[in-house]
Amino acid sequence: MSATRDFSQDRTFLIDMTRCTGCRACQVACKQWNQMKAEKTVFFNGEGYQNPPAMSEYTLTKVKFRDYEKNGHNQFAFYKEMCMHCNEPACVSVCPVSAFIKTPEGPVVYDTKRCIGCRFCMVACPFGVPKYQWSKALPLVVKCTGCYSRLKAGLKPACAKACPSAISYGSRTDMIQEAKRRLAAKPDRYFNKIYGLEEAGGTSVLYLTEQPFDELGFKNVTRRPLPSLTWAALRFVPAVFLTMGGSLAFISWLTHRKDRLRKEEEARKSASTQPKEDK
Amino acid sequence: MSAIANIKQEIKSYHPFIKTLMFLVTAGVLAAAARFVFGLGATTNLSDTYPWGLWISFDVVTSVPLAAGAFVLGAVVHCFHIKKLEPLVRPAVVTGFLGYSLVCIGLILDLGQPHRGWHVFAYPNLHSPMFEVALCVMSYTTVACLEFLPSVCEKFGFHVPLRLLRSIEVPLIVLGAAIATLHQSTIGTFFLIAADKLHNLWYNPLLPLLFWTSAVFTGFCIIIIEAVMVHRYLKQPDETELLATLTKIIPWFLGIYLIIKLCSLFFLSARPLFDRPGLTILFLMELVLGIIIPLIMFMTKRIRTDSSWQLRAASMVAFFGLVLNRFNVSMFGLIQKDQQIYYPSFLESVVTIGIIAAHILFFALIARYFPIFEHHPEEVDYTIPDHFHRIDKQTISEKAV
Ligand code: SF4
Ligand code: SF4
Ligand code: SF4
Repeated sequence: MSATRDFSQDRTFLIDMTRCTGCRACQVACKQWNQMKAEKTVFFNGEGYQNPPAMSEYTLTKVKFRDYEKNGHNQFAFYKEMCMHCNEPACVSVCPVSAFIKTPEGPVVYDTKRCIGCRFCMVACPFGVPKYQWSKALPLVVKCTGCYSRLKAGLKPACAKACPSAISYGSRTDMIQEAKRRLAAKPDRYFNKIYGLEEAGGTSVLYLTEQPFDELGFKNVTRRPLPSLTWAALRFVPAVFLTMGGSLAFISWLTHRKDRLRKEEEARKSASTQPKEDK
Repeated sequence: MSAIANIKQEIKSYHPFIKTLMFLVTAGVLAAAARFVFGLGATTNLSDTYPWGLWISFDVVTSVPLAAGAFVLGAVVHCFHIKKLEPLVRPAVVTGFLGYSLVCIGLILDLGQPHRGWHVFAYPNLHSPMFEVALCVMSYTTVACLEFLPSVCEKFGFHVPLRLLRSIEVPLIVLGAAIATLHQSTIGTFFLIAADKLHNLWYNPLLPLLFWTSAVFTGFCIIIIEAVMVHRYLKQPDETELLATLTKIIPWFLGIYLIIKLCSLFFLSARPLFDRPGLTILFLMELVLGIIIPLIMFMTKRIRTDSSWQLRAASMVAFFGLVLNRFNVSMFGLIQKDQQIYYPSFLESVVTIGIIAAHILFFALIARYFPIFEHHPEEVDYTIPDHFHRIDKQTISEKAV
């Protein structure tokens, strides 16, 4: 968890929800590229018009719908949900078998061959991203990979490619600059905040919206990089082990020595009082 | 043939309670088998919202501190050399060993890919609390097993391994206590990552320290419960007087725990604290019934030295103070507002009941067949053996007879 890594060149999504039409091309493209099964859904089963109701083992990204009223008009807000590809991901730090890897290019990928299925990553992720194959006898975790294989081949992620208007893709510095430019250019169009800039210590997915973020169901996440929270305790492990082991060993050496000395003393005494008996 | 007949005869002679336990264990084994055939999704109520359920909350997070008796008592008796408590050590070691073995079983059941358990060694991640706990639980189970082996050796009269085990006894106990300190606290570290999920009543940076302290006093309480039960139901000698030594140590740890808990609650936790009535009630129950009342009880001399009061106070600590605390941290406190609530499925519960039954059953059986109570410390030389010395003094031949 070195704080020394530079994230400015990480591949980053800038998702401008004010430009999103809710067409769900990204959702479909993701499903196609990753060969995910379709889910059987029911209309109005969940918070709004969204389908399926939540991300799952078959759905790595999903457009959330929120309706609200503005100046007496009914309006929609959209929110594309996906892995945030955190700069310092909780999932990477808690996985006991290092199945999650933060790649140098930015995306956080998951190695199906390593996972032992403990689901700690699901407990740890502040955004609730990793999902589990509950339908299988020997399940694995599934999550958005930032289309790492496409990135390696010089392509944009499937969702960014398919999106007609809302997703920009580039280096983190460029995307932050672009987001700030838009906020400055049209302050009344945007809610003045870039979600993902500092959340969980910064992520490779940045959002701009018109509505306050919590009203859209964005999670209110701490600004500290999460791995630092457990590391604050874990880094003491060797010291605790040595102190505990060392002091107990010392104490037992002391007490046992006292015991032995006492015994020897007694033996000597009994030897001196009855000198001839031994032989 | 006659061996089988003998075993059958033996089983027939068991008390009905033992037979009931055997039935429960069988049911648990069948339910566990069903989990492997049909999968976690079909047999449990776990979901993407509740990736961890009863098996993690009870079989792992709660059982580990409940099995802490062995390490605390081992340290007290052998390191601080309070020899008179020696008769309590072996039963505690058996409980510890059984507890940890069952934790391993619980973990394996809960894993999605149990056959890959060895990956923990192949691809270690030093930043993962889970890695640390897995490593510690495995090594501690080994240590507890070695601590238990002397009774087996005595039973079958294996003198050479017995001497060997005895010479490494103290180092083993020191090692065990150090390992136990690590994983007892690291289970608290687990939940430090859930900064935005665990409710402020329980989330604070001292969670690991709180987990360790509560494991220590629970360890003592379990020893009391066990000794009283064994006296009542297995016709073993009454240890009330010895236990009174323990009840003198317990209030110290309870007090320290209480102070750390309150300080961390008021100075280190985020706000709001009391915004959810359900959680507030759980928290108060844990604090009052599990810590404050037993603390007062243990500070009263009369209660400290009376067998049934000892038992009552100790069980309150174990049940409300510890079990409730671990469930609060690993289950209830993680429930978000307006979320549907997790409750364990029938099969999950059967497995957990089976695991508890297995613990009691194996303890009773081991107590029946191995010398864990008829162990006389006066006859045993517990100084660290000094081999050169020994050979001169003919003690080996004496012992070997
Ligand atoms: S959003 Fe969750 S799954 Fe994605 S990188 Fe961050 S911690 Fe990992
Ligand atoms: S479920 Fe798999 S990927 Fe997630 S933490 Fe456990 S081993 Fe790692
Ligand atoms: S980056 Fe790829 S895997 Fe992730 S949501 Fe977009 S299309 Fe799906």
